[in-house]
Amino acid sequence: MNVKSNLYRKEKIYGFLFILPPLLGLLIFTLYPMIYSIYGSFTDWDGLGQMNFIGLSNFKDLWSDELFHKALFNTLFMMLGIPIGITLALLLALGLNRGVPGTTAFRVIYYVPVISSLAAVSIMWNWAYNGDYGLVNQFLDLFGISGPNWMANKYTVKPALIIMAVWKGLGYTMLLYLAALQSVSRSYYEAAELDGANGFKSFWHITWPMVRPVTFFIIVTNIIGGSQIFTEMNIMTPTGGPEYASASVVFYIWQKAFGNFQMGYASAMAVFLGVFIFVVTLIQFRMNEKQSFDVD
Amino acid sequence: MLKKKGWFTLLSLVLMVSVVLTGCGGKNNASSGGNSGSEATANAGSKDSKETKNLTFMFRGGTDEQKAYEGVVKKYEADHPNVKVKIVVTAADQYATKLKASITGNSVPDVFYFESGDLKAYVNSGVLLDLTSYVEKNPNIDLNNIWKYGVDLYRYDGTMAGQGNLYGMPKDVGPFALGYNKTMFEAAGIPLPDKDKPYTWDEFIKVAQQLTIDKDGDGKLDQFGAGFNVQWALPSFVWSNGADWLDATKTKVTIDDPKFIEALQFFTDMQLKYGITPSTEQAQTLDTYQRWMKGEMAFFPVGPWDMSTYEKLPFDYDLIPYPAGSTGKSATWTGSLGIGASAKTKHPDEAVDLINYLTASKEGMEALVKAKVQIPNLMDMAKEWAADTTTKPANKEEFLQVVNEYGRVLPGHYTYNAEWYNLFYTDIQPVLDGKVTPEEYVKAEQPKMQKLLDKAVEQEAKSKK
Repeated sequence: MNVKSNLYRKEKIYGFLFILPPLLGLLIFTLYPMIYSIYGSFTDWDGLGQMNFIGLSNFKDLWSDELFHKALFNTLFMMLGIPIGITLALLLALGLNRGVPGTTAFRVIYYVPVISSLAAVSIMWNWAYNGDYGLVNQFLDLFGISGPNWMANKYTVKPALIIMAVWKGLGYTMLLYLAALQSVSRSYYEAAELDGANGFKSFWHITWPMVRPVTFFIIVTNIIGGSQIFTEMNIMTPTGGPEYASASVVFYIWQKAFGNFQMGYASAMAVFLGVFIFVVTLIQFRMNEKQSFDVD
Repeated sequence: MLKKKGWFTLLSLVLMVSVVLTGCGGKNNASSGGNSGSEATANAGSKDSKETKNLTFMFRGGTDEQKAYEGVVKKYEADHPNVKVKIVVTAADQYATKLKASITGNSVPDVFYFESGDLKAYVNSGVLLDLTSYVEKNPNIDLNNIWKYGVDLYRYDGTMAGQGNLYGMPKDVGPFALGYNKTMFEAAGIPLPDKDKPYTWDEFIKVAQQLTIDKDGDGKLDQFGAGFNVQWALPSFVWSNGADWLDATKTKVTIDDPKFIEALQFFTDMQLKYGITPSTEQAQTLDTYQRWMKGEMAFFPVGPWDMSTYEKLPFDYDLIPYPAGSTGKSATWTGSLGIGASAKTKHPDEAVDLINYLTASKEGMEALVKAKVQIPNLMDMAKEWAADTTTKPANKEEFLQVVNEYGRVLPGHYTYNAEWYNLFYTDIQPVLDGKVTPEEYVKAEQPKMQKLLDKAVEQEAKSKK
């Protein structure tokens, strides 16, 4: 009896020790800054000196801040890349799932952008988008189209960033779909075939519902990631782009906090963004719960 | 059993890492600054103390520049065997974030670069060490031999920047002079510009038009008169026309002044009316910079940091004053970056000594000038350097004239933050495209900028409490 409980206690301690490092990390590097920034959002802190409590004043200012509205719009606009990316990735995955020759090579090709550093990718695309000698415009030239100076035009800068983000994320999404497709049992398709279902029908009634959990996962993570988009614009349009057309919310937060000594105001925006992501994700989970019994 | 051993190794490893990580946080809190003045100077120059003193030096720069500065720091260490300098270096665009994060996190490096525009904020919140007494007591530092323009940028008396106590030393001064492609002038048979008498705006347009050519006859221009980036070149035109972004009290935005409108009009006319610059869409810095380096541009601003790059250009270039507006005088922006010390440093004397070595010592300056990344800070050395007309550009004297006579600091330097000033450039594209007239633009923009400036003034007042 005694021996057993001793052993038990020992294991318990080990267990705690094991979760301690990540727990400490979470407390120190996530929870503490989070609470600090929530508190900061109610102050006029400049990031250096003392903090004075000013209530909801920062949030009131957000309401009438034109640049914040622009940044918010830009961030949401650039999420148009998510459905595009999902569609393309699924098509690619379907293609690769048929076992065409060279599948492995294709998988590698599509996956290379995923593991490349975002900064390097941004610099590369910045060259490609150059109005005078960029690869993109030289390619368009072949068809007699004279391309715009992508990053310097407020109408093309967002599409340019979307194209790049889709390209970068394609491999990851495709791989997830590929895994999901391969786990779909062949027997469903055989049964459907016997019932006379053609290609599209079996896709719509079998494949699409079967990969739904993956689609859900991709949408949730992409929206969270998309809300936090920053590196691309920081490197490709370091001033926020023509007429602030490519600035994201995080970019604006960064500018306010580290450029203009308005840490309190920046914190307020961060809190807003956090709440926004939380609410959107919550809605998605609710919607998923409702639909999750459709399949069987 | 083997399993258990693995367990322990893993566990201890993880624990070690977490201890190290958490330990880092509060490291610099312990030192409470110590009373700097008298106590510290008593220790000055006591080289017999055997204790090694550790300094952290945080800076930024391009690769050439990093190498040059690392070399100078090594030399400093060799001359000061009891001081060890730990270098923290970042790319230019990440520097501000990193510095501000370390200030917020209470682990300010002992010696670091800072923007002159951030001076007020850093002084008001007690980040920067007041260098005045150290510099005055140090026989090796002769402030009279360093550009007054540069030194004054780091003075602040509690209300106005530019006067009072000294909180930093200029790493260098960056006169943004106007260059021209000499080879192109000679090929076109146009008399070379006078290096002492600036063009009027009209003259400038005429010469530039002569040099804007479609060389191969394909209907597309492939040689331009000039290429100006609005953010860095517009101030030159505005100032030389007698206007500015701010009034003398630095509390009112004055872009709706007719002289200002005239200058902005002239700037846009260069593209829209006279066609001497690449179209605005093409006029991103990189593109005009590339065109200049390919020899496709007659006039282009030249900073001393580019001298090492321009050495390999396939054409000859030289420097002249900027074309002058209604004041009849040239004007241009002169950059600078300061080096300051943390108010909480444990070794203020050594920190000031290092700053001095990097900014005002003969040994340090010689190494940096040799690397062709800057002009000398020391005036006597600069005169000697400029007198050598065998290296490019021949008229290096122009750089010195910019610093001494017609260079200025950007308006954002005078205010608590530069948000109001930056907004001017955020919204300006439609003006450059000719969709909005300069007059409409300044009328609409003035109130917006004023609002941000008011906020900055208010922030500043608060930070002093």
